[in-house]
Amino acid sequence: MSEVAVLQLMGLCVVGTGILILLFLKAVFVRVLGFVIIMLGIFTLIALGVPQMASLPPAVETFDIASVKTPDDLASIGQKIFFSKGQCALCHSIGPSESARCPELAGIGAKLAPEFIYESLTQPQAYVYLDFRHDGLPEEYPARMPHINKNPIALSEQEIYSVIAFLQKMSGEPISIKVEDVLNIDVGEMKVASLVGHGGN
Amino acid sequence: MKNHDTLKLQSWLPKVKASSLSGWSVFLAFLLLPAFVWAQDAATLAMQVEYRDVPGIGSRNLIWIVAQQHLLLAGFVLGVPIFAWICEIVGWKTNEPRYDKLAKEFTKLLTSAYATTALFGGILLFLLIGLYPKLMAYLSDIFFPSFIAYSILFLLETATLYLYWYGWDVMQGKKKVFHLFLGFLLNLFALGIMMIPNSWATFQASPVVVTDGTAIERAWAAMQNPTWWPVNIHRFIANIVLGGFICGAYAGVRYLQAVTKEERERYDWMGYVGNFIGVFGMLPLPFAGYWLMREVYQYNQQMGITLMGGFLAWLFILQAMLIGVLFLGANYYFWMGITYRVPGVAESYKKPILAMLIVLMVSLAVWMTPHSLVASLQEARQMGGTHHPLLGVFGVMSAKMTVANLMILVTFISFLMYWRAGKQETAAWAKIAKAVMGALLVIAGLAVIVLGVWGYFVPAIIRINYFSVAQVLIVLFIMVTFTPLTALLMKSAKTTTEMIWGQMPVRAGYTLVSNAVMVILLMSLMGYARSSSRVHWHIYGVMRDTSEYAYSPALGYAAAFMSLNTFVFCMIVAFIFWVATMGDKATQGTEHGQPEDSPVKIPGGVAPAIAGGSPREGQTFVNPVPMNKNEDT
Repeated sequence: MSEVAVLQLMGLCVVGTGILILLFLKAVFVRVLGFVIIMLGIFTLIALGVPQMASLPPAVETFDIASVKTPDDLASIGQKIFFSKGQCALCHSIGPSESARCPELAGIGAKLAPEFIYESLTQPQAYVYLDFRHDGLPEEYPARMPHINKNPIALSEQEIYSVIAFLQKMSGEPISIKVEDVLNIDVGEMKVASLVGHGGN
Repeated sequence: MKNHDTLKLQSWLPKVKASSLSGWSVFLAFLLLPAFVWAQDAATLAMQVEYRDVPGIGSRNLIWIVAQQHLLLAGFVLGVPIFAWICEIVGWKTNEPRYDKLAKEFTKLLTSAYATTALFGGILLFLLIGLYPKLMAYLSDIFFPSFIAYSILFLLETATLYLYWYGWDVMQGKKKVFHLFLGFLLNLFALGIMMIPNSWATFQASPVVVTDGTAIERAWAAMQNPTWWPVNIHRFIANIVLGGFICGAYAGVRYLQAVTKEERERYDWMGYVGNFIGVFGMLPLPFAGYWLMREVYQYNQQMGITLMGGFLAWLFILQAMLIGVLFLGANYYFWMGITYRVPGVAESYKKPILAMLIVLMVSLAVWMTPHSLVASLQEARQMGGTHHPLLGVFGVMSAKMTVANLMILVTFISFLMYWRAGKQETAAWAKIAKAVMGALLVIAGLAVIVLGVWGYFVPAIIRINYFSVAQVLIVLFIMVTFTPLTALLMKSAKTTTEMIWGQMPVRAGYTLVSNAVMVILLMSLMGYARSSSRVHWHIYGVMRDTSEYAYSPALGYAAAFMSLNTFVFCMIVAFIFWVATMGDKATQGTEHGQPEDSPVKIPGGVAPAIAGGSPREGQTFVNPVPMNKNEDT
């Protein structure tokens, strides 16, 4: 017997018990209880009558460095990090958005050099963008950019470069991050300049 | 080197011999060394534990039950003081002792309910720390300063509650103002107690990036997440609704159990007040819910789609059903009030009541129409998809927003009808006012429908940002302007038919119980929706749920849990009421016993709507219709 069938049977029993209470018992409080369980039983039966869909979690995605073969692979991993572990999409939008709490990032990979993006991620207060989307003087955005390489987000160097690769690809820019350099990265030691090819502007 | 070591050892040994106690200590230390190492290892291992499970029931289900009980009790404990405080103010302003008595009666419940709520809160905290240590460590790291603020608020709330309850009889007369101020403080602290945990829960659903800074800055940044204020407002109103309807249900049960005429009058009136406050809160509640959903969509469209169009879409059909039954119950109670409490006027209200019933039923049918029908492959082919060619039109938000607003309007009209029943306006401007109100009602209803139909022909963003908001504002405008206008009209109105309490049929008591059950089920259902909208995340997009329970169960299974939780909550509340009123029953037994057909002295009564339009204190009348208890069981 399926789980739904078992629950339906239980629901019917509950409703039946409530009806029996109302038919045969006189005590007011018990009758009220009978009335309540009839309502609860009917509610459960109706809920069991609609399509039963459970939300199953997707498979856990891991950053498998060995799988990276091309700059596109790197950008693909960067995209996943952008929307998950990196938490970038909590504040940044790609394209105009009223609810974005920070600068929108459409075309950012073409506008900014990867060194600058790297600095923005790891030293966010070095240069602060202001919000010009309103009348009057420009203001700071509502949310402060966190140090992306420190807790609680704490992206590794390899993950940061993957995100930069994604931002470049998303902007239609050739990916200037070299795959072999990312693969051979000695975390914390390598500087962005050594990883960038000739595409940075 | 060897000699040196020997020397060192020799110089050490005599010291050992010098004190047998020291020797034993060292010996024990050697013996216990592995234990220390093991303890350290165990501590390290414990730090790495992400989840613990409870055999049989499962950790998630256990948390579900305990958290739901805590939340419902908290809603009750936060809603009742608002209810009691409003009643106390009305009693103070109108000099009607029965309001004060009612407020005191419900405040008495708070002391035991408060302890039970705290008990469940403590159990929930222990379970969360034990079963979800990693998540709790993360949240504690961010929110610790708010824990301190929460504890302080709890202390203040407890002290104020004691003063408010135990000082009730002492702080009468001139000191009443101070007592009311205590009531205000009680609700203010309660508001804070509600808002702080709301920030923890809403952060899980709509987290913001927490940057560097002091602990307080980080906590404050996390608290100000996009759904915090919508949830605060929504829960605040919902708590008033819960408090009102539970008080109504209590009165309903006591009314059914009432033996004497005085008891029947008392609990009939109490049921009216509970229902009134419940409906009063229920009318703006959908607007607060709409704002919350808007913020959810703005924060993360995917989350909004998961809720409204994804696997939770059918949940909103169930929600429509529960809200529909609640609206019907609330209206039915008003209509019964007109019929049984204001004798002789029922006939003139028959047609309007029938019209309102039809509007409510049609609206409910539209609201419950799903966008995609459950159909077999063959049926779907015949329809050209899962959308029915005719009914599919009613399955979209434009139709649902329209009927929801119409149902609110109808309920408001029911309330106005009840308020005005048995009264004749005497003000010179009454005719004009009534004509203007009638015209405005018609225009408002038409405007809501026109905007709803127009909504099909404009882009979604225009409908959501302008049309739906306009519909809400129209209905709010009607409620905000009509209430004071009617109060003004009723101030000088002449009573043509006296209001009689204690004549309501048995089904009125059951209706009050049904309203309370619907509200509790709704809160459970929407709690499941809010929690499930996070899908497989503890903290949406930040901390993934990697436990074996990282899925949201299907609606049927969830509904069985909601029903179980509702039943358990009802039993807990019944127990609290029973304990709190145990002493009253003993004293009441010796005080009452009025004969059934004797003239009844109504326990006060006054013009405000909350009074149910009952007569002034001191007016007496003979019950024209004896209550037939067997009429409709």
